[in-house]
Amino acid sequence: MEKSESTKIDVVETNKERKGKAPLLGTAPVVAAAGAVEHAKGGANRGIAIFDLILRIAAFASALGAAVAMGTTEETLPFFTQFFQFEASYDDLPTFTFFVAAMAIVVAYLVLSVPFSIVCIVRPHAVVPRLLLIIFDTVIIALTTGAAGSSAAIVYLAHNGNQDANWLAICQQFGDFCQRVSGAVVAAFVTVVILIFLVVLSASALRRHR
Amino acid sequence: MKAGALELGHASKVTATVPQKGVNRGMSILDLFLRIIVIIATLGSAIAMGTTNETLPFFTQFIRFRAKYSDLPTFTFFVVANAIVSAYLVLSLGMSIFHIMRSRAQASRIALIFFDAAMMALLTAGASASAAIVYLAHKGNTKANWFPICQQYDSFCHRTSGSLVGSFIGIIIFILLVLFSAVALSRR
Repeated sequence: MEKSESTKIDVVETNKERKGKAPLLGTAPVVAAAGAVEHAKGGANRGIAIFDLILRIAAFASALGAAVAMGTTEETLPFFTQFFQFEASYDDLPTFTFFVAAMAIVVAYLVLSVPFSIVCIVRPHAVVPRLLLIIFDTVIIALTTGAAGSSAAIVYLAHNGNQDANWLAICQQFGDFCQRVSGAVVAAFVTVVILIFLVVLSASALRRHR
Repeated sequence: MKAGALELGHASKVTATVPQKGVNRGMSILDLFLRIIVIIATLGSAIAMGTTNETLPFFTQFIRFRAKYSDLPTFTFFVVANAIVSAYLVLSLGMSIFHIMRSRAQASRIALIFFDAAMMALLTAGASASAAIVYLAHKGNTKANWFPICQQYDSFCHRTSGSLVGSFIGIIIFILLVLFSAVALSRR
């Protein structure tokens, strides 16, 4: 009978060591759970980014429609005097010229922002592209609303005139011109609404970036 | 060794989040300060436009030559839009203070971004519509036979042109507000 020479030493686990040990044991399932949550967030972000791209294309179509509708207005009335020919086109009013120029800038911006949107689809956790999109979208909202609001004021004046300022309502004569121009203003406001929705989408995608 | 390394890692993570929270808090305070500036700007614009009243010193037997903001519906819309934006900003001051105290709030920041963007669009629409009318009042339009009324109503014109400035300053600051909220969202 040999007594074993091994001595058992009871090492009392201190609190410090327990704290140090617990993450080692617990990290494996926690990391797996975090990975699953991150994957789900990435999936939701990807869905948001795809919806963002679709809305961007819709805004591009609407802005292009507004610019083209305003830019191709030209109406000549079928009667004329010896000296004047009654015609109306968009460049008779500087506000409409501003409208066409601003909508052209908006169309160009929306085309250039499609690659950023695609980058956001491919990389759902990217922060910088989304941040860039938000800030530029906000600036473009201001530009579009500026163009649309000023043209809406002129269109309202053309429809109703103003007695106190002695401004005649020119729509009574140039009916086709007025319709075209009003349609362009409506399309511009639709673009503004879509852009606001785009900003909110980018913001909600930013919140799940981890 | 491994336990020690883990503890060190945990400690470095704590020190890394403190400056992040500090920057978030700084941005929230700047957000509150900018909001107060926009309140003053839009309220000033609304009051400047709303108190326009110019009566010319001559009159005929039937007509009295007077210009007020309510003669042009666009200016009425301008005053109303500025008033609405001012009221919204006063209400959102509370939300801004809440964000200073709780830097990790997310859903409320998104709601704030949405309302900020919508109010910015409203303000821009009012300001740009009034700018178009002011331009017309200054220059007129020969093709539409619209006479530039500024040649007669000088003080009215000056007042309306000046009240646009506050609105446009408000628009620029609104863009900054949306940017700050977005950056604070992304740096959680």
